[in-house]
Amino acid sequence: MTSSMQSIDLDQGSTQGSGQPAGLRATALRRLRRDPVAIFAFSLLVLLVLAALFGGPLAAHLTGHGPNQQFPNALASDSQPLGVMQRTYYPNGTVHNPHGSLFILGADELGRDVLVRVLYGARISLLVATSATAIAVVIGITLGLLAGYLGGWVDAVVNRMTETAMAFPNLLLAVGLAVVVGPGLLNVVIIIALFTWYYPARIVRGTTIATKQMTYVAAARTVGARPRRILLVHLLPQVWGPLLVYATSIIANNIIFEAGLSYLGVGVPPPTASWGQMLSDAVTSGMYQTDITLALAPGLALVLTMLAFNLLGDSLRDALTPGGR
Amino acid sequence: MRTVILKRLGGALIQVIAITVFAWLLFYVISKFTGANPAQRIAGKSATAQEIAEVARIYGLNKPYWQQYLIFMDHLIHGNFGFSYVQMRPVSQILWPATRATASLVLGAAVIWLCIAAPIGAYGGMHPRSAGDVTGRAIAILGMSIPVFWLAPMISYFFGYEPTQGKILGLPILHQGTTIFPIVGYVDFGQNPVQWAYHLILPWITLAIGFAAVYIRFIRTLTAEQLAEDYTRTAKAKGASTARVLLRHVGRNIAPTVTVLLGADVATALTGVFFVETVFAIPGLGYTGLSAIENLDYPVITGVIILCALIAVLLNTIVDLLHAALDPRLRRITGQ
Repeated sequence: MTSSMQSIDLDQGSTQGSGQPAGLRATALRRLRRDPVAIFAFSLLVLLVLAALFGGPLAAHLTGHGPNQQFPNALASDSQPLGVMQRTYYPNGTVHNPHGSLFILGADELGRDVLVRVLYGARISLLVATSATAIAVVIGITLGLLAGYLGGWVDAVVNRMTETAMAFPNLLLAVGLAVVVGPGLLNVVIIIALFTWYYPARIVRGTTIATKQMTYVAAARTVGARPRRILLVHLLPQVWGPLLVYATSIIANNIIFEAGLSYLGVGVPPPTASWGQMLSDAVTSGMYQTDITLALAPGLALVLTMLAFNLLGDSLRDALTPGGR
Repeated sequence: MRTVILKRLGGALIQVIAITVFAWLLFYVISKFTGANPAQRIAGKSATAQEIAEVARIYGLNKPYWQQYLIFMDHLIHGNFGFSYVQMRPVSQILWPATRATASLVLGAAVIWLCIAAPIGAYGGMHPRSAGDVTGRAIAILGMSIPVFWLAPMISYFFGYEPTQGKILGLPILHQGTTIFPIVGYVDFGQNPVQWAYHLILPWITLAIGFAAVYIRFIRTLTAEQLAEDYTRTAKAKGASTARVLLRHVGRNIAPTVTVLLGADVATALTGVFFVETVFAIPGLGYTGLSAIENLDYPVITGVIILCALIAVLLNTIVDLLHAALDPRLRRITGQ
């Protein structure tokens, strides 16, 4: 999971955003519309968001199974869960609850519907990853803008902080913190944000340093603009472009981060369906060896999500690079 | 050169202090506010009041915070990571063999991911947008999207477990009980190097795939950059073969950068081992740490986290100094 973290190449971010010609946004959009990979990734993400918003309740309604509802008769006598597209039967051979007897992706080791849980898991993944990213971006923008604009000791302090934070094996320290504060949805969001703010901070700082030397900022200062106005009106709008590219990578990382914490048992507490939790349940119980779907379903959901974010991030970067690749 | 070294060592010292303060705050101060008694946590659930008092005395937990931190640091400097009351032995005795196993895993994986990434990345850099390059980049982005904690059970299942059931990809084509690759068991290098490697093949590949993907992209970019330089054109013009240009000229120039990246990534790979080691039952730091989390063995959790963080800082420092030694340009620039 950390390997993808390395892919956020911070040096590139610091050089972007400087001297962007007007109309770059239009150029970028035109390029994106012509890029089949970008369209594919974007469609995949739209599907994912739809699945997260409506997929869970819809599947729950159609199958008649709640995400945390346990069906003892979805387990065979040797406590083997139902496989893909199997139905539950009563011991006398009659179909149990004809409407809700079908388990499309089978059941897990507690007799819960895997499909419904995977769809509900999408909610947790996206919710945790986007809110943690939002918090990290707010912290990052604040510190990055201040460090880049003020320079001097503020810059030095922020720089030391980001450098030190980057040298840490993040997940490990996050696990340590999670062990101490205990599991919980909000805790996970805060912990992830605490360990990812320095990516946006560095990008914003770099962009700010490049932008503040431009003539229009000097002009604004000459006509008497206060620092607050320069920061918010002249410098802040310039950071969004590079930030957007990295935000997609950061969201992707945070999805893995959440899944990793939940996998280690210190993330979103059970019985809430989360992909990491589902994987961990299947693997630690050894049940994935008898029924590989238990590990395949949440795992493929994770891989597809990551793929969509990574592809979109790459396409955005290409589209926003002046002069093309 | 001397200022470069001093500056870097100063940075490392700040990082070490930051890590120890963080770990100390985490396990000795914050836990107090979440309603836990640190002495109780260290001594374990079944400890008597007398044992808890003894632990509080050893760690100075009744003294002011700054003294507690100094005692904590004093123990660390003397290699004393505390005592595990769950396993009834010193934490350092638990950590040392675990570090050896983890080092085997991570270093072997690093060799594999470089061997995968170097040819694919170099080819992509030489022939940008060719079919091979597009394929390589597609593989890279797919590899980056696969989380290691999913890859580990998948590899263990399809290459380790399924063949023992006489199947490959669900097709019954093997004899029952065939073992292609072992999925559990770890043999120390000192005992039997061949068995050591054989038992580590699947874990190595699991850990290597994600990093190989990232390195394909790194090496592709670096190679393309170097090939656009005048000196490689000169080398080609005077008749040097492609292999010679790549190895003698390009390779030499990108080696320092790759070394620095490797230092940072071997350190981050220490988090990947948590997932790989538990699936393949390798008694390393990750396995030790995770079972400590399950058993609420706080001294071991603290020890694993501090040790991994310190190894990361140490590796990064060594690699940065090595970089300065390998690349004369850097010496001058940062020395100013």
